[in-house]
Amino acid sequence: MAIMPIERGKVREYAVATAAARPAYLDDPKAPVPPTFLATVVFWTPIGETLRGPEVLRACAEAGVPADLGSLLSLEQEYVFHGPPPRAGETLRTAERLRDVRVKQTRDGRAMVIIRFTVDFHDERGDLRAECNYTSAYVQRERP
Amino acid sequence: MIEIVPGARLPERTLGPVTMSDIVRYQGASGDLNPIHHDDEFARAAGFPAAISVGMLGAGWLAAYCTEHLGEETIRRFRTRFAAVVYRGDRLTASAEVVRLFQQDTESRVELSIRLRKDDGSVVIDGTAEFAVA
Repeated sequence: MAIMPIERGKVREYAVATAAARPAYLDDPKAPVPPTFLATVVFWTPIGETLRGPEVLRACAEAGVPADLGSLLSLEQEYVFHGPPPRAGETLRTAERLRDVRVKQTRDGRAMVIIRFTVDFHDERGDLRAECNYTSAYVQRERP
Repeated sequence: MIEIVPGARLPERTLGPVTMSDIVRYQGASGDLNPIHHDDEFARAAGFPAAISVGMLGAGWLAAYCTEHLGEETIRRFRTRFAAVVYRGDRLTASAEVVRLFQQDTESRVELSIRLRKDDGSVVIDGTAEFAVA
C-alpha cells in the first residue's frame, strides 16, 4: 500500500513522452491523467511484488523458468476507470493483489509462468477510481 | 470528428522511426528502468538481437491517439496486449475501429478495437478502448 499524489508536472512529462502534448494535458493545472499514466505508480511503491511472491517463485522453480528481469515479459495491461480519470492535485491510495498464476508453453515449446495481478487506486474519499490489471510472464530463454 | 457507428475507423497516425530518445524519455517518465530497453548487451544476454522498445510506450502512443479523437476525460477502459517486440528504427501505425455502442452504469459508451502495427503489417499491440460518449 502506498500514497500516490498526482502531480501536474508528472502528467505533463508523461504526456510529452507518449506523443500526447496537447493543451488538455499540458495547460490545465487539474489535468486528467493519460490512460496509461498510472504506470508511474512505481515512483511511489515497487509494483510487481506479487511477481516475487512465494506462489510465483514456486511455479517458476517447478517449471524450470528463471524468475529474473531478463526473463520477464509484459504480455498485457488493462486500465479501468470508474468514472472520469483522476486529475492532477488528487491523491490516490494504491494496493496490489495477485489474481492467479498459470504455467503454459510458448509456441516454440518453452515453458512460461503467467502471472495476473491488479493494482487498485482509491481516492481520498475511499472511492475506487481505477484498477490496473497486469498480465506478465517469466519465459524460459531456450528450449530445455 | 468521425461519426461513431460500428465499423467507423479513426484516421490512422504514424509514429517513429522509434529512437533511443523515445525509449529513454518514456523510461524516465514512467519509472520503468529495465535495462533490456536501453542496454543492447543486456538485451543480447536475454536472447534479443538488440535492446527492445518498451511495450508501454506503444500503449502510451495508442492511448494518446485514442484520447485525441475521443477525449481525455471520457476514457473508461484501455487494454493492450503486447504481441511483438519493437526495435529502434521501426516505423509504427496506430489505427482504431468502432466495435459497438453500449450502456454501462447509466453511461453511453463506445468500444474501439485498437492496433499498433509495423510497416510490414505485423501487429505490435492490439487491444480495446472504451470511452463515454454523449
